Amino acid sequence: MSERMSRSSAWSRYRFLTAHAFRMEWRQKHGLAGLLLFALASVYACYQVAGGRASSETWNALAWVVLMFSAFNAVAKPWPEDSEAMRKYLKTTLRPGEWILARMTFYSAILSALSVLIFLSFTLFLGSEHFNPRQGLSFLLGLECTALAFASLLSVLSAIASRAGAGFGLTAVLGLPLIIPIVLISTRYGTDILKGILWIDTAHHLLFLAALTGGIGALGFILFPYLWRD
Amino acid sequence: MKNTLWKALGILLLAYVFAITFLVPLGPGLLEFQNVERVISSSTENRSVPEYQLIGYGTHWDDDPDALQVFVKSKSQLAALEVIRVDDANHATVGLTLPYSLPAKSWNVLINHPIDGTLLLENGLFLSDRFIDAQATWPAPSFVEHPGNLGFHFPYQPRIIETIRNLMLHVPLWFTMFLLMGIGFVSSIKLLSNPRNQLDDQRAEASVQVGLWFGVLGLLTGSLWARFTWGAWWVDDPQLNGALVTVLVYSGYMVLRQAVEDERLRSRLSAVYNLFAFVILVILLMVLPRFSESLHPGKGGNPGFNTYDLNSALRAVFYPAIIGWMLLGIWMYLVTLRMKRVNRQIELLP
Repeated sequence: MSERMSRSSAWSRYRFLTAHAFRMEWRQKHGLAGLLLFALASVYACYQVAGGRASSETWNALAWVVLMFSAFNAVAKPWPEDSEAMRKYLKTTLRPGEWILARMTFYSAILSALSVLIFLSFTLFLGSEHFNPRQGLSFLLGLECTALAFASLLSVLSAIASRAGAGFGLTAVLGLPLIIPIVLISTRYGTDILKGILWIDTAHHLLFLAALTGGIGALGFILFPYLWRD
Repeated sequence: MKNTLWKALGILLLAYVFAITFLVPLGPGLLEFQNVERVISSSTENRSVPEYQLIGYGTHWDDDPDALQVFVKSKSQLAALEVIRVDDANHATVGLTLPYSLPAKSWNVLINHPIDGTLLLENGLFLSDRFIDAQATWPAPSFVEHPGNLGFHFPYQPRIIETIRNLMLHVPLWFTMFLLMGIGFVSSIKLLSNPRNQLDDQRAEASVQVGLWFGVLGLLTGSLWARFTWGAWWVDDPQLNGALVTVLVYSGYMVLRQAVEDERLRSRLSAVYNLFAFVILVILLMVLPRFSESLHPGKGGNPGFNTYDLNSALRAVFYPAIIGWMLLGIWMYLVTLRMKRVNRQIELLP
């Protein structure tokens, strides 16, 4: 294994790590099932609170809040690699940057899928009368961009929390304030879309989100090696 | 000796700032020009005209009642009104000696007084029941802008009025927080590049701890100011949200430090988080508010801050206030740092 790793390229190690993350997740299905259940139950709770006739403001607010909490739930699970022995082993076989990139990719994929699911269940339960199909797609695009931004930030924060050995509570304490800039931009975008403002006139919010995702991802990539050190 | 000099300078500057801030009077201004729903006979025009009450703030009309002149102005058309009597220093009764057809409905009110100088109340008079004729003109009365004859004073700003003194507290407090968080940022970078130097970790912690106090004070003074000028203790505004989130993010830093037992690990984890926190601070307080509408001066195209900046009386206090608060902040930071080092020495004692 280590022999193969040392001769392989960074790109193939990254691909292997990402695929490995998916494989591990697929093997212990209760993690994925728990995630789905959490998201669906949150949407259903929103439906119970707001009823089928939520105003467009309520619709917008609840969608982002559900995505935010589902994202926190998604990163709450500890990874086998977080254990002390595993980390020591991995340090000899790969660079930490590859590992954090793989982790970000994995979370991006999970959260993207989750945001589609949340969007569909929202239209199912809370109705879709506030937007036409075109606006719906624009809103979904906003959810996707937000999911990527969440993934890049929360991967690093959950790494900090698991290294600190303090578990999920710390991820939430550290993450909630840091995530607010992303949520501020996203909710503004969502409000604009549901108000019927043309996509092109509010698309700069997506650019902000992309820039934030890139910036946070780059910062995480640079800083993650310091978390792995002994 | 060198170490006490700058501390003394900081204290002297702050003493100067506090004394001037709360002792210097505010300049005069016009509060209101209101219709009292009565008519009064005009001596110049031999007819009855609507009676208006002019209310000033900090004015000295009764010192020289005969010299008070009241004008209204719309675009380029100027008209003189008749001052019936000056009731006291801040109240005057004015007769609205205007013709029936007017070029506009909305008028600025201007006064001239030898002590107070020329004062302006923007859109102080609105006449909805007059006949509007864009061509209506009359010969303009003579009007010379008067500089006034007052000592050192702060400028009167509508709606802000006396709370302009908060400028010397609120703004420098945030500047100081920025400085301290900047020290924390640099210390964290230095720590990550050389993890053996635990002093950098103590520097980062001390600066964030002191900076948080300045942030909280900045929030409190800002909240007071918002209550007076905007009417609520808290409003939904990008700048305010950013300020609150900044304080929360740095509180998260303190929580993270509490959560980790191992010293080396703690220093590294908190340094990584601190770098994130500072980047978010810059985004929240310096980037985002510029791209969205905001009530806050200096942001969202609101020119309020430039007006303050241009006034020499405010500048004479504002700049010393910035330096004084920053020196105090650095002093507090150094004392906190020394406390941390002493505590550490005590812990290491057998």
